[in-house]
Amino acid sequence: MPINRRILLGGALGVALLASSAQAQSPTEIDLFFPVPVDGQLARDMNTLIKDFNDKHPSIKAVAVFTGSYDETLIKTRAAIKAGKPPAAVIMSANFITDLKIENEAASLDGLIKADGKTNDAFMKQFWPALRGNAVLDGQVYAVPFHNSTPLLYINADHFRAAGLDPSKPPQTWSELLEAAKKLTKREGEKVTQWGLSMPGNYDYLGWIVTALTMSNGGRYYNEDFPGEVYYDTPSMLGAVTYWRDLIEKYKVVPSGVVAGPAVTTSFLAGQTSMMLLSTGSLTHILSNAKFRVEVGFVPRNVRHAVAIGGASLIIPTGVEGARREAAWTLIKWMTNPEKSGWWSRATGYFAPNMAAYELPEMKEYLAKAPQAKVAVEQLPFAKPWFATYKTVPVRKALEDEVQAVLSGKKSPKEALAAAQKTADEILKPYNAETSLRNF
Amino acid sequence: MTLVFALVWSVPFLWMLVAAFRPGAFGSAGMASLIPDFVPTFAHFAEAWLSADFPRYTLNTVIIAGGILAVQLVTITLAGFAFARLEFPGKRIAFYLFLLQLMLVPVVLIVPNLSMIVRLGLYDSLMGVMAPYFASAFGTFLMRQAFRAIPRELEDAALIDGANWWQRIRYIYAPLAMPAFIAFSIVSVTSHWNEFLWPLMVINSPDNRPLTIGLATFTRGQEGAQAWGVIAAGTLLVILPLATGFLLFQRRFVNSFISSGIK
Repeated sequence: MPINRRILLGGALGVALLASSAQAQSPTEIDLFFPVPVDGQLARDMNTLIKDFNDKHPSIKAVAVFTGSYDETLIKTRAAIKAGKPPAAVIMSANFITDLKIENEAASLDGLIKADGKTNDAFMKQFWPALRGNAVLDGQVYAVPFHNSTPLLYINADHFRAAGLDPSKPPQTWSELLEAAKKLTKREGEKVTQWGLSMPGNYDYLGWIVTALTMSNGGRYYNEDFPGEVYYDTPSMLGAVTYWRDLIEKYKVVPSGVVAGPAVTTSFLAGQTSMMLLSTGSLTHILSNAKFRVEVGFVPRNVRHAVAIGGASLIIPTGVEGARREAAWTLIKWMTNPEKSGWWSRATGYFAPNMAAYELPEMKEYLAKAPQAKVAVEQLPFAKPWFATYKTVPVRKALEDEVQAVLSGKKSPKEALAAAQKTADEILKPYNAETSLRNF
Repeated sequence: MTLVFALVWSVPFLWMLVAAFRPGAFGSAGMASLIPDFVPTFAHFAEAWLSADFPRYTLNTVIIAGGILAVQLVTITLAGFAFARLEFPGKRIAFYLFLLQLMLVPVVLIVPNLSMIVRLGLYDSLMGVMAPYFASAFGTFLMRQAFRAIPRELEDAALIDGANWWQRIRYIYAPLAMPAFIAFSIVSVTSHWNEFLWPLMVINSPDNRPLTIGLATFTRGQEGAQAWGVIAAGTLLVILPLATGFLLFQRRFVNSFISSGIK
């Protein structure tokens, strides 16, 4: 049989078809970077979640890659992007998104949302309004909320009753908090055997707690609309830091020095601390390990009720293209759907960013059993975006280093905040030089 | 006096040992106590063992620390010999450039190193973790000093007997510099055994994780509480191989440090 053009064409087509069907059979491999702001058990839960995803999506093979703390996850993601190996998706601390966008490291998700036949508004409407400020930047969606938190006031109900306080009414204002802390603190001579209140002072956590206190004091911490300004040297933050300092030095109801988040939890669970300001993200852990009744309340206010959100969102880095990008998007949508959002919330204590999660029967059942988990959601109308600026981490550390000096009694709040403002302004200078301070 | 220092220094280790065997997850009243509980428990070890694939991580760490050391011993011997005994143009400048490298903070090298690893196709492999350490400025410096301290007459005698350069290294220099080799090996192995940031950058697959990253999954629980017992047990598992090795060869090591002048 003479070989004519038609047979050749047919053959080529056949080969192409075979090749494409072979491609369809080998799954798209994607990697998900995830920090573990939670304990070993939850790292295992994350693997369960990813395995479940892979079982239901045979055309995708996702691998969860543990990447340290939030700060280390940022370092690793940036290094990987610069080295040309961007991960398909990252669970990124929600306040790093702005900086990633400025550095052109996080990709806009608008195209993917549009391809699903949705508008940005319709897509973001699934999530609590307070979360949108850290995800939608300049009208474009850069991140999808995965697990989120607000700070809460945790109280030991047994200690409250013993001190003649009503555990069903946690302190609402700074003065009530102080009065309760005074009654709860127990001393033997000069030695304190039971602290009234404790707050975490380690990096990352400290900035967040200072934010909560500053906002409750009427302040803003940063300019929500422009990432080149922070408000450290202001009356509202001065009041917040002075209040904390007074709790330590004047009233001696809070331990001095820098106490890390996990140590705060440990001393609360051990009954050595009666109240603590801590993330909702610890709620499940605390409820399942406390040998006493735990109640939670809003962060007490001085001027108004206000807190910053915390937690993390899913992003797709720039440079992730084609099938990997599609697969990452499928994974992101799956991880943030109401069912999975609710499951992860129950496993951790983070609130579910997807509002529809709270309509599901298993969530209602859970909330009936653990009404404490409702408080974070009830606090959400008072929640605001988490501070996010150009070079978020160094700008935050500028404040944390100084506040740590205050907690250790080495500096006065006024001089500490003035120094923090100066350092932060210095770090923000290059960005401002290109934007707000540009001369035409 | 020495005894007092030794006592102060050993408290954290004693505490870790005690905490690892103490029943109760966290927060029993005597948590900070150094006195062991009457009934020790192995529950923390079981929990720690389950939390991470320790045999695999240990193997990876051994491969990384051992592989780095093996290549380093070759490179530092040759480089050290060249700087100590060979004459070539630009020797002094080359040596100072080598020493300058000691001044760089490793963190600034992360991105350039990672780009190079990716280009070499070593991303997410144990080789990728090892490669940047194959040459060691510190080791080269140390061997140069050690070789220079060896009398040249010994080498001259070997030369007369017709030994070529590698025979001179093999039979004269290397045996006499043994204390320096041992001292360097300890420094190298402990630093790479304990390294966290660089392996975290290179490694993605769980199967390639070294111990430090495996351990981190349960000590970095920012929003959880610190389960001291489990952390202590896990840490003990991590340091056990190194600690045993050190205890076994303690006298040898101490002598090496004394004769090579490192502390």
